[in-house]
Amino acid sequence: MTYKQLTDWVTSTQIYKAIFRHGYEDTPRNRALTTFSNVLYHLHPVKTRRESIKIRYTWCMGGTSMLLFLMLAITGVLLMFYYVPDARRAYNDIKDIMNVVSFGSTFRNVHRLAAHLMVFTVWVHMTRVFLTGSYKSPREFNWIIGVVLLMLTLLLSWTGYLLPWDQLALWAITVGTKMAAAAPFLGVEGPFGAQLGIRPDNDLKFMLLGGTEVGQNALLRFYVLHCVVLPLMVVMFLAIHFWRVRKDGFSGPL
Amino acid sequence: MSNIGDEKITRRDFFSLVGWAGIAATMGGSAFSFYKYYFPNVLYESQKVFKIGKPSDYPIGLSENWKKERQVWVVRTERGLYAMISICRHLGCTPNWFSDKQVFLCPCHGSIYDLGGNVLGGPAPRLLWRAAIKIDPVDGQIVVDFNHRQDPDPVSTESGLKVDEASREVEPFFIKV
Repeated sequence: MTYKQLTDWVTSTQIYKAIFRHGYEDTPRNRALTTFSNVLYHLHPVKTRRESIKIRYTWCMGGTSMLLFLMLAITGVLLMFYYVPDARRAYNDIKDIMNVVSFGSTFRNVHRLAAHLMVFTVWVHMTRVFLTGSYKSPREFNWIIGVVLLMLTLLLSWTGYLLPWDQLALWAITVGTKMAAAAPFLGVEGPFGAQLGIRPDNDLKFMLLGGTEVGQNALLRFYVLHCVVLPLMVVMFLAIHFWRVRKDGFSGPL
Repeated sequence: MSNIGDEKITRRDFFSLVGWAGIAATMGGSAFSFYKYYFPNVLYESQKVFKIGKPSDYPIGLSENWKKERQVWVVRTERGLYAMISICRHLGCTPNWFSDKQVFLCPCHGSIYDLGGNVLGGPAPRLLWRAAIKIDPVDGQIVVDFNHRQDPDPVSTESGLKVDEASREVEPFFIKV
């Protein structure tokens, strides 16, 4: 069978036609229809200028961030099968994943490295958007959405940091939550905190940790934030982000 | 069927094929690693091979000492000793021993067994399992292999499903004392 026959056969099957619906002919109409009628493609603009999607211009950092988010979601779900957010066993569960679960170290390392990388790619994406002036009207709202997504990315990275429950995790979160204690009005060490009757057992840090120190309550709270609350928020804001890109169109040289 | 030589493969076709092969290899590798990942290599369940003391610890009759912890009854007769698994053969509940009637009754759907595990009534389709046992040569304790089970085909009689007791009193499911 030749390559041409193979592709012809694939594109003529009912499965292929059912998914992509609009043939393979490379016509402007078919291209537009393919985007219009596909739930995944429809977030993408129907037409983009060749110049505006050049990798020299976009650096492809937004798409890479999205790819990393997908990888993190998949490997994160896999890790949840073996990880229990119980202060007595969380560390041992990580040890099991790293040492005795088949491909466990692979999935955990992919999760860890993709997380580090995603923080980096989101920063670079925002740098590119800033340098090309793509945050300007009519795209200023999408810049705000982007800032929210940056915050969510950092919070995801930070909440995931506690879950291995080792010394690095414990002290990183101990230090990190000191920031909440230093918040104005709501933190015990912040400006006007003491005057407003804020104590170590009723301030913002206490609410975040579910206690005065990093313990079982903090581990469970960070786990729920890391695995449920923050990813759901990211998905919602990503949908708005992509929809705005479609509506506003790609920026780029004319 | 034509050969590759019959029609010229363009460079574009070749790299497209290489690309799809790469995607297929990635997908296949991922699927394999996902599949392997779902089977834990270390279990934190209760031991399935365990010691239950020496034969001399068990007087003639039924011992329920290990029922709660290990799901086995230990039965000592004049001839020897066997370990019967306290899992009902109907749907897996735990039968109770009634010493006045000398039967096991399952609380879920009323299966009735005698001391040998024969079915006297109720929906149970087969006899109670007996686990493989042996004497540890070092400390003389009975070692039970919970997952190695005796499951003979029963004969249907007017008084229930039976198996000849002599045929069940064989190694490794029986220890002569």
